[in-house]
This record gives sequence, C-alpha cells and structure tokens, in this order.
Amino acid sequence: MKNRLIFLGVLAIAPIVSSGQALRGWRETSFVPAPKGEWTGARLSDGQPDVSGHWSNTIGNHNNLTDPQGPLGADDEAPPQEGRQNARRIKPRNERAPSRVSAPADGQIPFQPWARAKQQEFLKYLNNPIKEEYVEPFARCAPGGPTKSFMWHGYEIRQYPGSVVFLFDSGNRVIYLDGRPHLPTSLKLWNGDSRGHWEGNMLIVDTTNNNSKARLGRSGEFVSENATIAERFIFDPSGDRFTYDATYTDPTVLTRQFTITIPNRRVTDKTPVDDWNNLTFPAKHAGTAPIIEAYERVCVEGNGNHGQVVTASK
Amino acid sequence: MVRALLVTAALAFVLRGQTNFSRGADGHPDFSGIWQSLSGADYGLEPHLATKDWPPGAGVVEGDAIPYQPAALQQRARNFAARAAADPRTKCFTLGTPRGIYNDEPFQIFQRSRDLTLLFEFGHPVRTINTNNTEHPDGHIDFWLGDSRGHWEGETLVVDVIDFNGEAWLDRVGDFNSDALHLVERWSFIDRNTIRYRATFDDPKVYTRPWTIEVLLYRRLEPNVQIIENYCSTLEYDQYYPVPSTK
Repeated sequence: MKNRLIFLGVLAIAPIVSSGQALRGWRETSFVPAPKGEWTGARLSDGQPDVSGHWSNTIGNHNNLTDPQGPLGADDEAPPQEGRQNARRIKPRNERAPSRVSAPADGQIPFQPWARAKQQEFLKYLNNPIKEEYVEPFARCAPGGPTKSFMWHGYEIRQYPGSVVFLFDSGNRVIYLDGRPHLPTSLKLWNGDSRGHWEGNMLIVDTTNNNSKARLGRSGEFVSENATIAERFIFDPSGDRFTYDATYTDPTVLTRQFTITIPNRRVTDKTPVDDWNNLTFPAKHAGTAPIIEAYERVCVEGNGNHGQVVTASK
Repeated sequence: MVRALLVTAALAFVLRGQTNFSRGADGHPDFSGIWQSLSGADYGLEPHLATKDWPPGAGVVEGDAIPYQPAALQQRARNFAARAAADPRTKCFTLGTPRGIYNDEPFQIFQRSRDLTLLFEFGHPVRTINTNNTEHPDGHIDFWLGDSRGHWEGETLVVDVIDFNGEAWLDRVGDFNSDALHLVERWSFIDRNTIRYRATFDDPKVYTRPWTIEVLLYRRLEPNVQIIENYCSTLEYDQYYPVPSTK
C-alpha cells in the first residue's frame, strides 16, 4: 500500500518526526513487568494460551536500541528550534525508558572491539550513507529480523495448533511448535528459523539460521550470521501484556551473551489509534461485537535505497 | 444378505469419499496446509507453446481466450514486449491476487473459523480471507492483494475480492487487470490433498465480459515441508549486510 510505504520511508529517514507524535496516550517510560500467575484466558484446542490478536511494544521504535526514547547522534541532541519540523523535547535520561539491553547490567552490547568500531561507523554514516552497507536495511523494506520487528509498528499474532504466526509491518514469521528439526544450517534467513514450545504462560523459542542482515537498531548494533537467539515471550495471566526477552549468542561479534528486553501490550478496540503502535481500525459488520483489523502489510514496491523510498511517493 | 452388506459397504465408501478431507471445529472444510500449483498458469493463462523461457501449457482460461477490450489488448502487447523489466515479478513486487495462488512457488494456508491466512513463499507476504461476516471497508483502497471477504456455500469457500491497486500482472506474458477488478474465488476440495480453485474476473475497464480460470492446487507432502521465506526484493542488496568484513 503506497501511503504506508511513504510513511515507513519518512520514519526511516526522520524518525524524530514520528517519536513526538507517537508518544501520546501509549508510550511508557518504564518496563512494566508482566504480572505472574496461572493463565486465566482462553486456550486453543491443543492447550496453548490463546494470545492471538493485535499487539505493540510500549517503549519506542528502532531508532536507538540502548536509549529507546533518547536522541540518536549529534544532530538529534541539538536543542529544539522554533519552527523546526523535527524539533522535539527530549527528557532527561532518568525520565526516559531504560536500555533495551537488560543484560549485561551496563545496558550495552558486549561487542568485540572491532565490532564496536563497526557499529560506531554505521551510526556515523546513518544519515549520510556514502556506501551501500551504511544504508539501514529497514529503509529498503527489508524484514526487521526476529528482534527488531518488535521495535516497529504494532503487529498481529495468529495462533494455530502447532504454530504461532507473527504478522509484522515489514515481514512475517512462523514459529513451529511441532518439534520438527531446523532447516539446514546453510540456509540463512532474515527472520531466522524458529522452533518453540509453551511452558505455562511462556512461549520459549529457539531461533537459528539467522542471516543477521537486519541491524538491531538504527543505532547500528548488529550480530553475525553465526548468531543464535533464545527468545522468551512471557505473558501475564490475563494476556494484556507480555515481556519479550531475546538472548543472543554469537562468538563472532560478542565477548559474551546479551539479552534484549521489549515490553509489549495488547491492542484492542479501546486502544487509542495513533497510526503507529495501533494500526487497526474497526471492521465493518452488522453485528455488535468489536472486531478490529489491519490493512495489508506490503512494503516492496519502492524497494531501493533511501532516495528511492522517497521517490515512491509518485 | 451378503449382497446387502456389499451395497452398504459400497455406499459407506462413496459417502466417505465425498467427505474425504479435513474439517475445522466449525465443520467447514479445513484448507490448512502448504499448497502449490502445477498448472503452469504463471507462464501464461491462455494456451501457449514453449519458448526458451517457458514450457508449453494448455492454459487455464475457460474458453481459452481472455476477453480483452481492444485498448486493453494493445496494453497486453506492450506489457509482453516490456516483460523482462516490467513484470512486477521480476521486480520482486508482491504478485497479488490471484497470481500468488498459481505462481510456481508454494503458499501456506493457516485457517481459523474467523479467517484464512495465506502466506506466500515469493515475497513472503500475507493475504487474509476474512470469514467472520465482515464487509469490505469503505472507499477504494489500493491493495496489492485486494480485500478478501469469504463465506461458505456448502463445502465451497466463496471469496469476494475488490480494492486492487491495478499494478499487479496475472502472469509472465503481461495479462493484467485494473483497479476496478472484482474477483470471485471458489475454493473446494477434490480430495484431501487437492483443491479445485476457480476465479471469475469482472473488470469493466479491461474486459468485455466476466471470464473464469480453474487450476488445481496440490498439497505438499514432503516430511517437515515448510515455507522458506523468499524476500526476493532483498536479493539485490543483501550482499552488503550485515558487515562485509565478517564474510
């Protein structure tokens, strides 16, 4: 859908614009932990907690991994100027959401020195991508990867006996629950190859075959195609919230494991529509039950670099 | 007595044969699975001889010819001449509806009572067929895959699809529709591993009358077969990521 593509392009180029708009009525500045307890909601025929529906993260977009509501780069830290479209007020660090990197305790990815230098290089050239490798893949309509997909627009979970399906704004993902083996290791995929099982309210997922081409934020953090991800989707008893934890193992890039934590909340017909976290609208029907749905998510027709994203507004 | 038993057994066999497919908890046919067409329709909906680019095919159009208006026929000729670069498939764009169904890569159906989710290998997009008594949204909306609302007529899923963007093609030789296309699909089982897929095209901007295709969809039965994401649009740049120096 064209207007959505333009929207994505604008966000990719100037995420500053979106942040101010999307803060209203939804974003939280702390990670609300999902309450513990036995599942009280509906279940599927095979016993899975029924977590299907529309969801969104509650913290922010993929702009800055380790300071989700903070600035990104020197330009972003400049004080707001009157009349500047992208001017926004950035709160002091202790009033902003914490780093999404929940382990190690310093909130930073434990990069090997060369990898830290590479991340800094990506960040330096983010808005001036003089080489192809500096263009953020998301700006080219690439999938967000297993973790960053949760730092973007609201998304939908559909659930079936034997599988859980995630419909993201850019890319889709199937988690098989039937115990089948992983794909051959030589097949590296944008969203990896996922096998999961439920333990109570927690969906535990083993994600391999990662091509790791999607970065972990516009801030440039990355891993290699040798990375494996242990994901945990920890749902509260009522299914209103879940905490997403992803522990990355990658000897090629890291000195030790790290974990990314992303809080998520259910989107319902009562959720304020902000066209960012909540992309749903009421379905048209004769009944009285609230039914919400979302437009098709297709982002390929302007595929190319930043410039081509802009020209897609033809 | 023996004869009566035989008749009964035969009757039971016939009845079982008629319902020899899975059903969901709601009693409707359950199309869940991975499906693929062997029709060759993506090479050309109409009958076509072999070239170096495609095998021959008897076509899938009832009556063989698509009833184009004269101007549309000229447009198809221009599409054909420009196909190497102009076919949305070669640009890795979403194939659209119905091309996503009969192109030569598989797709997976996930089914609930409220909807069917079609996950296509090529491009890895998702099309939803709503079966929850909802209607098309207001206005014309430019979707690649259209807006799909389905209902059951006996054992057949009938799907009404509108809201096309008119940019998708129907095959590799330039057959096309406009944004005014109104597509009606009919999905039914022949047996548990074969779907009969029929689609009727009505598009007053392009055709002189409605016309229909029929293809069969075969269930992929390999052990552990799964859709492998084909984000075709990423192929032209994926060499640059994640970091060239880690290669």
